[in-house]
Parts: sequence; C-alpha cells; structure tokens
Amino acid sequence: MKMTPELQMAQENMLPGKISGQGFLGDDHRPLIDIITEDEERLAKSGKSFDELFQRMEYFMIHGRKGLGEPIVVDNEWEVWVDEARGKMVCPFQDGIYAKINARVCKISTKDCITYSELALHLIHKHHFFQGNPSSYRLNPEELVRILF
Amino acid sequence: MSIWIAPLVVGGIGAVLALTIAIIDAIVNNYGEVEIDINQGKKKLQAKGGASLLSTLSEHGMFIPSACGGRGSCGACKIGVLSDIGPILPTEYPLLSPQERQDGIRLSCQIKLKASIEIQIPEELFIARPYLGVIDSLKDVTHDIKEVRIALEKPDSIEYQAGQYVQLVIPPYRKIPESTQRAYSMSSTPSQPNTVELLIRKVPNGIATTYVHELLKEGQSIELIGPFGDFYVRDNEADMICVAGGSGMAPIKSILMDLFEKGEQTRHIWYFFGARSKRDLFYLDLFSSLEERWPIFHFIPALSDPLPEDEWKDETGLITDVLDEYLRNRVDPEHTKEGYLCGSPGMVNACVQVMKKNGIPEDRIYYDKFA
Repeated sequence: MKMTPELQMAQENMLPGKISGQGFLGDDHRPLIDIITEDEERLAKSGKSFDELFQRMEYFMIHGRKGLGEPIVVDNEWEVWVDEARGKMVCPFQDGIYAKINARVCKISTKDCITYSELALHLIHKHHFFQGNPSSYRLNPEELVRILF
Repeated sequence: MSIWIAPLVVGGIGAVLALTIAIIDAIVNNYGEVEIDINQGKKKLQAKGGASLLSTLSEHGMFIPSACGGRGSCGACKIGVLSDIGPILPTEYPLLSPQERQDGIRLSCQIKLKASIEIQIPEELFIARPYLGVIDSLKDVTHDIKEVRIALEKPDSIEYQAGQYVQLVIPPYRKIPESTQRAYSMSSTPSQPNTVELLIRKVPNGIATTYVHELLKEGQSIELIGPFGDFYVRDNEADMICVAGGSGMAPIKSILMDLFEKGEQTRHIWYFFGARSKRDLFYLDLFSSLEERWPIFHFIPALSDPLPEDEWKDETGLITDVLDEYLRNRVDPEHTKEGYLCGSPGMVNACVQVMKKNGIPEDRIYYDKFA
C-alpha cells in the first residue's frame, strides 16, 4: 500500500530524538503503512475491534486513577497502577498532545502485565499504530487482548 | 584529459553554489548582537542572535527548566515575554493555557533570537546552575523507590530552600541517543549543602528512572541543574497539613527536617503519608522518632490496601479519607491551616478538594504535582 504524505511525516516524527528520546519504531525499518496493516490484521484475528480495545484500555486508565498514584485492584481480576510524569508528549501524527500518564495493568491470575500511555491509547484508537516491532513501547495486539479482556 | 572536464565543471558549479548558499545564509540569518533584558533591567545579557532563547540563556549561565531538551514537547521552559516577537507558534499553542497566551507567556525553546528582547522569569532562576557530583550512595528504600545521594564536587555546595527540585541530567544510554533531563525534588536539607538526596520511583519504561534503577552505580559522576521551584514553606504561624504518597515523600521530608533543625515550635505540623501496603512504606522509623522528639509534629501513615501479613494496626483507607477524618475530628478547628502536598496529580487534586471542603482556602494550599 502507498505511504501518504501524512504517514511519511509521522514516520519521520517517530525517529529517535524527534519527539521522544527512543522514538516509536525501535528496530522496525518497514514503511509505517506496513506496520499498521500487519497489526490491523493481528487485532482482527484476535477477535476484537479497535473500538472494543480502546474502550477497555480507557476503562483501566480511568479506574486506575482512583488509586491516587498507588496500584488498585479493578473488578477483582486486575491490578492497575496509573502514574504520571512531568511533561507532555506530542502525537507523531501531529493531531494532539498528551500528558505523560502511564497505566500498568496486571492480570492477577496469570501475573501478566502490560504498560501503556495515554498517547499509546490515542495512537491505537485513532491511527491503529501499536509502535514498531520490536521497540521499547511496542504493544502486541494479541497480548493486549489476552491481558485486558 | 577530456574525461576530467565534466566532473570538474560539475564540481566547480557545486562549489560555487555551496559558497553562494553559505554567503546568503550568513547575510540572511545573521541577526548580529542582541540584548536580552531580564526582569526589567535586573540582568542584561549581550548575545549572538540566531539561536533559541533557551539555549542562548543556558550558554550565558541562566538555566530555565526543560525536560525535553528544547524539542517543544514538555512545556516546562515557559517565560514571560514583554517585547513584541510575533504570534505564538503552532508548536507552542497546545502547551499554553488561554490565560498564559493572554499574559505573554511563551516557550523559550521555541523563540528564535532575531532581535533584542525583554523577558520576565522567576528571580529564583538567577541562582540555578549546573553541578557535577558523584553518586555517594544508592539505597532501595522500597521495592520500587531508590534513595540516591550525590556528593557535589563542582561546585561542591548548593544553596536552596527545602522543597525545591533539581533537574537530573541522564546521559545517552542503550538506544537513547541524547541526554535527557528529569526533575526530582530534593529530600536532603539545606543545612547539608554538599549533598543532594533524591527519591526516585521506578516508572515502567521511564527513560530516567530506568537509568537510575538499572545502570547508575555508586562512584559514578552525574550532572544536575538547579535549584528550581516555588514549593517551600510559607513563613507564618498557620498549622501545616502535609500530605504525600510514594516518592512525593522527598520535598516533604526536606521541609520537615529543615523546620525541625531550625527549632520550629509554634505551628502544629501534621504529616499524612499514603501507601498501598507495608512494603510501600519507608522512613517510618525516622518520622516515628521525630514525632517523639518534636511535640508539635504528628505523623499519620495510612495504608490503602494492607496485606494480612502486614499486621497493620494504624490508619487504613485512601489517604483522602484519612485526611478528611482528621480534618473533621482531630485537627484543632480553631487554628488557621495551610496545605502542603506532593504526589501524583490525581492524589494532589483529590486532597485539594478535601482540604477546601474542610475550610482551608485554595490560595493557602501549596503543591508539587510531580515528585
């Protein structure tokens, strides 16, 4: 598929040192459109839509905030810690700016954990971008579904 | 011989073009010498134009806090601009509130110095400067918080007010290509100016906290810049209601130990420290001992979710609930009170509401939302 000028601009913004120190792509050198397309297929195979995934991620972000900076148990099955750091992050697609809020969600029964930021939530919902594979902030669609549902 | 002609001609044209561009660049982008007037003449700097205001100030020993290295993403380097320097840039707009836009607040990293400029900055920034130190000790105070003690070397002492913070400079590491700065409150006291103590909680995937928790070693050199911040004790007789959680302990510890050292005896000081379970509590012995030696000091640790093995017999519940109960029933209602808060924004916001509900005016609640 074709890389639009918007995708080309976003991919440039994702390089290390542009918006964040580590960037958003890690060692993934594929065109952004290929990364997104593959992850769209992977999420579809896992049986959830982007809206369902977004609502679930947002649910834990909202409930985790009730812990006032400490981990909190949600629905007796998940432990959620929402923490905030100073500063803000610009979306590499240049359509928003987000506080540095991280949610760490752990499924108590399996002890599997996943961490995502408010920006990651936006990137997945609006741009279907789970970040480069592999990269430090990469979120695998199957892992998100396995832990959050 | 003829095969050299074409490359020589192309090379010659390229060289002429490069020279032309360099000359035009030097003419067009040569802004000459500019004057930076700080706080209506309190300080004046002569600088070469063309670079960002943030970097120019830094080259002249004036350090404005910045967490993103001038990329325009953290919004920390705000200053007041009194001169007309043109409209707010799209990169600045989202990081400024409507009131700030109206008040002439700008991001110093986004201002290119093209002409002389008048700016307004907090006076405290006049004394902020870089320090080089050595990691004196690294200690795990909980499973996810490290106490980092830095012995200062160049210069070897720092002057600050208890409650202020420094910017720790994290060097490039692993795949992080450039240095990063992060703000941390000092937990040490101003009476020990040769040492800076920080409490740093590990944030999953955090650039600075990963470095501190996984790579930083005793004996290693480290750079910091400071002091910064307006979170410090107001000098009056109001009772102090202090609330902290996690590494929010840092500035409160500094403030309390400083007041104790100075012999404060008139105002009652209540310190509410919230944690989830016993493994998240620290410095219990320090504050219990302080409570015994200092009659005006009251220490209330509270656990929101104690484990059975904690055998916890003290306050239980969210720190906001414990605070509310004490303000309604145990803290003297006749005394004027002030709030001092440090922790996550969620905790600080919730505590501000509880304090306001219990009669503490909002303008007497001071906080640092980021420990």
